[in-house]
Amino acid sequence: MKTFSKKLGKSVLNTAFSLVVVTVLWVLALWVFDVSPYIGKNPLDVYNFLFTVERAVENQQLVLTALGQTLYDSSIGFTAGITIATLVAVLFALSKGIEQALMPIAMLLRSVPLIAMTPIIILIFGRGEVTVAVMGAIVVLFPALVNIVFGLRSVSPSMGDLVEVYGANKFKQLRTVAFPSSLPAFFAAVKISVPGAITGALLVEWLATGSGIGYGIVSAVGRAKANEVWAYVVVITVISIVLYNLVALLEDYVLERYGFTKSK
Amino acid sequence: MTTSKLGLKGRITALSASLAVAALALTGCAPAATEKADFGDLSIQLSWIKNSEFAGQFFAVENGYYTDAGFSSVNLVAGPAATEAEVLAGNALVGIANPISTAPVILNEGAPLKIIGTTYQKNPFTILSLKDGANIETIQDLIGKRIGVQAGPNETLFDALLKANGIDASEVTKVPVQYDPAPLTNGEVDGFLAYVTNESFVVADQGFEVTNLLFADNGLPFVTESFVVTQDSIDNNREALKAFLKATILGWKDAIADPDGGADLAINNFGKDLGLNAKKEYYQSKTQNEILVQTDETAANGLFTISEAMIAQNLATLEAAGYSITAEQLFDLTLLAEVYAENPDLKG
Repeated sequence: MKTFSKKLGKSVLNTAFSLVVVTVLWVLALWVFDVSPYIGKNPLDVYNFLFTVERAVENQQLVLTALGQTLYDSSIGFTAGITIATLVAVLFALSKGIEQALMPIAMLLRSVPLIAMTPIIILIFGRGEVTVAVMGAIVVLFPALVNIVFGLRSVSPSMGDLVEVYGANKFKQLRTVAFPSSLPAFFAAVKISVPGAITGALLVEWLATGSGIGYGIVSAVGRAKANEVWAYVVVITVISIVLYNLVALLEDYVLERYGFTKSK
Repeated sequence: MTTSKLGLKGRITALSASLAVAALALTGCAPAATEKADFGDLSIQLSWIKNSEFAGQFFAVENGYYTDAGFSSVNLVAGPAATEAEVLAGNALVGIANPISTAPVILNEGAPLKIIGTTYQKNPFTILSLKDGANIETIQDLIGKRIGVQAGPNETLFDALLKANGIDASEVTKVPVQYDPAPLTNGEVDGFLAYVTNESFVVADQGFEVTNLLFADNGLPFVTESFVVTQDSIDNNREALKAFLKATILGWKDAIADPDGGADLAINNFGKDLGLNAKKEYYQSKTQNEILVQTDETAANGLFTISEAMIAQNLATLEAAGYSITAEQLFDLTLLAEVYAENPDLKG
């Protein structure tokens, strides 16, 4: 447990460092590119927008409502994507034939730009939560799938042989050996899926549902509400970084419990 | 140790940035040496896709009025876009917008923007619906409906329509759409924010019976296709703005004289890739001249003018929509007046 508290400290430090880097890049970019102050807002402007101006409370409410919607949409996409990826990965692990049949479809989902597919997805599934799930899942699915398949395959041959000798069928092999040894890959999949799910949610909000931060940014840009735009960008960036680091922390905790030691 | 490293990086960035700025400044200076007025490149942010709506601008480009006026090149940037933001950011010298979308930016963001003239004396904005569908005939019919509204300035117009008529925004569902009215005909939305001179005709031409709920008849009369510029341009780039106005007046005079020619420019040239409905382009080009661009006011005082009465009406519309703004904050028609004073023959 001592090592874990050490890791917790390191994680907080990592998060803080990421935030500082982003802030520095932000201020620097505004300065280097000489962005008009009506368009490019700095961290202080956003702070004022959210905390000191007359309408600060309303602004907070506006941004938090949108953030809540986006997190909800992200969680739908994330859950759908990871669930499907895991199920499909298990199928692949059980049968090479299924993998050869289905992998090209997964590749196709990856290679057709989601924006180009959106009008068709909207026509088929409407503008509700089903579309949110479908589009979120498409973004999350492929990278998660590849990682989890890789994880399930990473069982050492001798371990596989051992349980086979003891009479385990393919399912039992998966459960007893492949699942535990795929944990690091699974967490890698979850880690990259969190920002992916947020991207998917922003996209679906922009193009289909018209709510949340994804639409708020586009709408506010269109109406020259620069402070609002930057506030949206700040909260979604911070949340993204924090969630990523939280998952990394969870990963460390679980992997430690299962006795994985990171070589690095 | 780390801080000193960062400091070094910062200095390198600063150095390269200042070099870049210096290079820009030098190249910016060079053309000023030529004798003829040179206003550099002209960028105009349009409010919509390149169709007959901008016939006058197309003529002005095609017949070289902008280059004659001293611009080295013209870039017409298609919308729908964040017009006011593009102008504020300096990406476009002139943006085509309207008082309803511009006033909130001035009031809420403290943006120094002004309208210096307007193409349409009336606005053709409508909530388009299908007779066999939602059939939105009165403002109350909007309640509980899904309305397709393009993100950005048009949202401000839609909010204003609701506000001016005492309808709470929560009573209507706003759906994000693009310029194509297909979501209306395929049933994704009940109504679609459109121009009565454009999408309304397109949908009717596809064989649907349409219903229009005109903004102008429902508490929102205002001018549109207005020229939005920054106060900075008015103060420091006044001659360029006047040159733009003069060239655009000449272009629109051509568009009025030859509406079919204006439509042809949209169909075969500027909007070639868009697959425009030719029948609609001819209709729009002709109709806008007759009912929107030319009025008794423009006959007397020239194209693009906004009369005192019209300004008062626009301010009243803004007031009803919840935006209190003065004429001085929103309009500066002195440039147009100077253009007509210096070129009296432009009026005729």
